Amino acid sequence: MRFLLYLMLCLVPFALVIARGSDESNKIFPYPINQVTLDNGLNVISIPFDSPGIIAVWTVVRAGSRNEVEPGKSGFAHFFEHMMFRGTEKYSKDAYNEMLKSIGADNNAFTTDDYTAYHTLASSDALETILDIESDRFMNLKYTEEDFKTEAGAILGEYNKNYSNPDMTIYEKLRENAFEKHTYKHTTMGFLKDIQDMPNQYQYSLTFFDRWYRPENCALIIVGDFEQAKLMELVKKYYSNWKRGNYTLDVPLDVPQKEEKTINLPWKAKTLPQVSMGYRGPGFNDKEIDMPAMDVLSQVLFSETSELFNKLVVEEQLVEYIYGGQQDHRDPELFMVDARVKDKSNIERVRAEIDKAIEQAKTTPVSAERLASIKSHMKYLFAMGLDNPNGIARTISHYVQLTGNPESVNNIYSLYEKITVEDLMGVAKKYLNKTNRTTVIMTQEEGQQ
Amino acid sequence: MKRLPLISTLFLFAMALITLFHEASQGAIRITEIHSSNSPLVTFRVVLRAGEINSPAGKEGLNALTAYVIAQGGTQELSYQQVVEKLYPWAANINVQVDQEITTFIGTVHRDHLDAFYKLFTDLLLHPRFDESDFSRVKDLGLNYLKNSLRSTSDEQLGKQALNTMLYANHPYKNTEFGTVQGLTTSTLDDVKAYYKKTYTQGNFWFGIAGGYPKSLIEKIKTDFSMLPEVPFSEVTLPKPEPINNLEVMVVEKPARAFAISMGHPLSLTRKEKDFYALLVANSYFGEHRTFNGVLMNRLRGDRGLNYGDYSYVEKFVGGVGSGNVFPELNTPLRQQFFSIWLRPVQPENTHFAIRNALFEFKNFVEQGLSKEDFEKTKKFVLNYSKLWAGTLSRRLGYQMDSEFYGTEYFIDRIDKELKSLSVEEVNAAVKKYLDYKNVKIAVVVDEGKGNEIMNSMISNMISPIKYASPVSPNILEQDKFIEAFQLSINKEESKVVKANELFEK
Repeated sequence: MRFLLYLMLCLVPFALVIARGSDESNKIFPYPINQVTLDNGLNVISIPFDSPGIIAVWTVVRAGSRNEVEPGKSGFAHFFEHMMFRGTEKYSKDAYNEMLKSIGADNNAFTTDDYTAYHTLASSDALETILDIESDRFMNLKYTEEDFKTEAGAILGEYNKNYSNPDMTIYEKLRENAFEKHTYKHTTMGFLKDIQDMPNQYQYSLTFFDRWYRPENCALIIVGDFEQAKLMELVKKYYSNWKRGNYTLDVPLDVPQKEEKTINLPWKAKTLPQVSMGYRGPGFNDKEIDMPAMDVLSQVLFSETSELFNKLVVEEQLVEYIYGGQQDHRDPELFMVDARVKDKSNIERVRAEIDKAIEQAKTTPVSAERLASIKSHMKYLFAMGLDNPNGIARTISHYVQLTGNPESVNNIYSLYEKITVEDLMGVAKKYLNKTNRTTVIMTQEEGQQ
Repeated sequence: MKRLPLISTLFLFAMALITLFHEASQGAIRITEIHSSNSPLVTFRVVLRAGEINSPAGKEGLNALTAYVIAQGGTQELSYQQVVEKLYPWAANINVQVDQEITTFIGTVHRDHLDAFYKLFTDLLLHPRFDESDFSRVKDLGLNYLKNSLRSTSDEQLGKQALNTMLYANHPYKNTEFGTVQGLTTSTLDDVKAYYKKTYTQGNFWFGIAGGYPKSLIEKIKTDFSMLPEVPFSEVTLPKPEPINNLEVMVVEKPARAFAISMGHPLSLTRKEKDFYALLVANSYFGEHRTFNGVLMNRLRGDRGLNYGDYSYVEKFVGGVGSGNVFPELNTPLRQQFFSIWLRPVQPENTHFAIRNALFEFKNFVEQGLSKEDFEKTKKFVLNYSKLWAGTLSRRLGYQMDSEFYGTEYFIDRIDKELKSLSVEEVNAAVKKYLDYKNVKIAVVVDEGKGNEIMNSMISNMISPIKYASPVSPNILEQDKFIEAFQLSINKEESKVVKANELFEK
């Protein structure tokens, strides 16, 4: 199951239904989806949900660190997310904050490899205010070079706050080595040298805005308590003047990996050893079986109910945790396997056990009962995330950024239902090979207490 | 849908879902329930009125160890792995949250599987397996958390925990929620069993349930939990935290790229007191968590780009480090609270300046208070914003139980009630009465070998100019001249440099 869905575990729904196989309920997503495309290309998706007086408004920009194709510009999508809070001529930074404060909104943003999302949760009464200030900054963002440079300090601070956690460095090293040309070579934060150079990139920031913050590259997602006609009236009022762009992205694709890569990473501070492996996997596609089959396979191999988990975590207790899976990406990315090993002397043993389980998955069919249990788990887990406007908007944003089509959520869960044991063995053989793998082994430097 | 004015509609959002809400305290076990017949989910929040403060001396962490062996262990019928396999197809989950005063077992399930889930959940609590294998696995987790994660891989959390040890040096709150390394190391499975027998009693259990459960379940809960020993709840006595004398600093050394800072002092009020709500508004103005509303955020990050974020709190707030949740955390109530300022890691060369900048703003805040205009804007914000906090039945249940812990009405309603009659004069008087910028404890996490340098710089009040990566406006530079020389009265005798490995040891 995807990490996104894990994040939703803590949420408790109050209006969800579990699809039971009738024609009407074949779709996993239980709420009606309205989709309108404005003349300028803006994708407007609205989902009525029983949350009286509450509304979630998300703007999804289909640009993330994947779009950072030029050398020296890694991390720019994320940096730009910060600049979007720096104001316009109509609403300065302070005026923007004051308006959000006056409506008591929860407002923030995040950037991923493939997209950037700006989200607001507030009273339904504040809908027009939200659309006013959001449309304004997407069309008319304006900041000084001084503001730009100051914000670069906050980005470095964000990098720094994450740095003490070795997971970040492991992931940096893994990606840097696993990819040759594709922009997934760097993380969303970007290479440190590029982050340090950000204060000098004011002109490029204007280019970045001009390229990607365009209606045809964005989706506006509204979930909660609203009237559709009134909503569309307001959307047209505030977004119709947004001008289309014309930039096309050409992301360099990598050639297939031909040999295994292994990196030993010493860590200065105290830590348990960690083994992280990335197999070059498929990209997201809601019409082909590969990605959903990899999701199910990750449950077979690495979930808490897997044989490997039971052996390494519960019985022999060689590792503190192990997990594996692949996040949805627009282009082929990595199927990750991570294990935190309790004792350095067991690293090779743990690697061998992982290899053994993967090889077994290529030739030994999983039982029908086990497959049914996994499908049930995935279905319930998905449904449990749909309990509030923000959770729903997040889910829909995820699929809209991947394909532009919110129906992808139903398509992909429909594919899950069709997965067979042969599909699982097929993708295991296709993707989980040593020559297709990059491994980072992190151990504490000698001499650290 | 029809629209009502903002405040009332948001209020109704929470209420509309609920067909029954009451505290059923008759019978042996206390039960708080929020029944919503149209909810397909059921959430359990089962609170044990015991936390780290109940761990015996020398066995620090025993409370957490016991709770985790239960929540991540087996039942007398089923092994841990069999429990996991049962839960898996339902995507149901059972978690535990440990804290100083209470321990909360949290379970969520779709009502399709309620009966079977309830049996598992209560079997874990009432008939735990206490398997040696589960114990050793959980103990390893706890020790790794203290020895590696907390001391090494999360500087922000380390700073917060270091501040906690300073604020409560000779107080039951002094340890982490997971105790100490030595306490965990010496705890045995027999200790766990003994602690369970002594602590998991009818008087200590408090059952919270929300969602679409059958009403008959309440009677079953009462019956099932009546098998526990009938020992009444008794509170651990809390002394007053020791007074702080000027600025007391602890510099913690570990390999670090940037330096994390936490500072604060104990507070003598909680959600029960009226003045808490005055401070809630004042604090929102000064340092609202993860927003650009606060003075601290705007002056340190917004104007100067010093770091990623700067916030303040008038009660324990555990969200924000490794948590995506930006609203006040659930089920971490304390009888004694504290005020704190959290500066996310700054560039090493700006550490002294950042501490000065925060204390400079803190002083201005206490001395000048809020203007009438700032007060009105902030009050309106908190009134609206707090209505977003209880967006699910599970969260509402959590806030309700916390309110009962403090002996007050439902938190979100209390905020609404108190703020509507609050005046700027009351807020500023509360700020002056409860917040103290002169007597503060400060924890700073720095790179190895840098501790004495930072400490000496602070003690000697050395001028500490900020180093900018790029120019800022003249008016900021003008103010910097004052801040870089802002006098800090460090209590040299009560300040020290320590190694991270020395913390949380015993």
